Amino acid sequence: MNQSLAAEATHHDVIIEASPYGIEKKKLGMWVFIVSDACTFAAFLYAYGYVRVGSPNWGRPFEFSSILNGIVMTAVLLSSSLTMLASVRASQAGTKASALKWLGATMLLGAIFAALHLREWFKLIAEGWRLFFNPTGGPALFGATFFSVTGLHLTHVVIGVIALGFVARGYSQGRYDQSHMETAGLYWHFVDLVWMFVFPLMYLMNAH
Amino acid sequence: MATNRELSMSSYVGIGVGLMAIVGVEVFITYQHLPTRTQLFALLCLAGLEGFVAVMYLMHVKYERPILFWSVFPATLFVFVFLCYIWPDAFRMLSLGLVK
Repeated sequence: MNQSLAAEATHHDVIIEASPYGIEKKKLGMWVFIVSDACTFAAFLYAYGYVRVGSPNWGRPFEFSSILNGIVMTAVLLSSSLTMLASVRASQAGTKASALKWLGATMLLGAIFAALHLREWFKLIAEGWRLFFNPTGGPALFGATFFSVTGLHLTHVVIGVIALGFVARGYSQGRYDQSHMETAGLYWHFVDLVWMFVFPLMYLMNAH
Repeated sequence: MATNRELSMSSYVGIGVGLMAIVGVEVFITYQHLPTRTQLFALLCLAGLEGFVAVMYLMHVKYERPILFWSVFPATLFVFVFLCYIWPDAFRMLSLGLVK
């Protein structure tokens, strides 16, 4: 009798063991993505670190105004992490309007960050910096490394803002729940985390 | 799933302020005009501290089961340390005659 029940169960039911991590699959998937993405950024930053230390006449194009711009960008991105936390908290508490309000604030801060970032890019481009050209005559690697690393990060921010928009839409329509908000939040905090390495290495290491 | 031991929102704001204070220290170090290697090492240490706080608190690893931390971070750190070994090895190319 028991054997026939077990056979029936294997034919008709899917037995899923509880995750040893105690988190949902989508969140675990996001962690796997984050680890692989962290390795990508680490490879970029290691490569930059070696050419930076190995080039004695490396250009230092950033005036204090650019560093100040970077500090404001850091504050904006850090604030967006806090608004994301507030949004996840509100979704866990079941207050949909508050969750959407904080999510909107996060997207706005992400957009401000991207605008400040592009302003810095255009300023450098106006000064003559290119991917493979240094207007001061030193090694051209500053442009290659700066635009590559910050461009990769900026891409993550822009994709993050768009993804948060989709999550907000799904959450407001009831298709997504708090677990989707948590997973999106995890990605957003990772973007913030990467900036904590990009700012000192790409900006502060290149200040006058 | 995260537990109910999580911090209050005001505590998270405090963590955010603390992270900005570390950024302030980084800027201060920058304008001390240290040798490049020393500056890089100091900034990396401070960024690592910031990253650790962000992972543990903002990304909630502190409030998840310890198995998440132990299965993700030692392996990731091993990869990062191993990159330290791989990149200098690339300098061998200079003595192989492949790069002129």
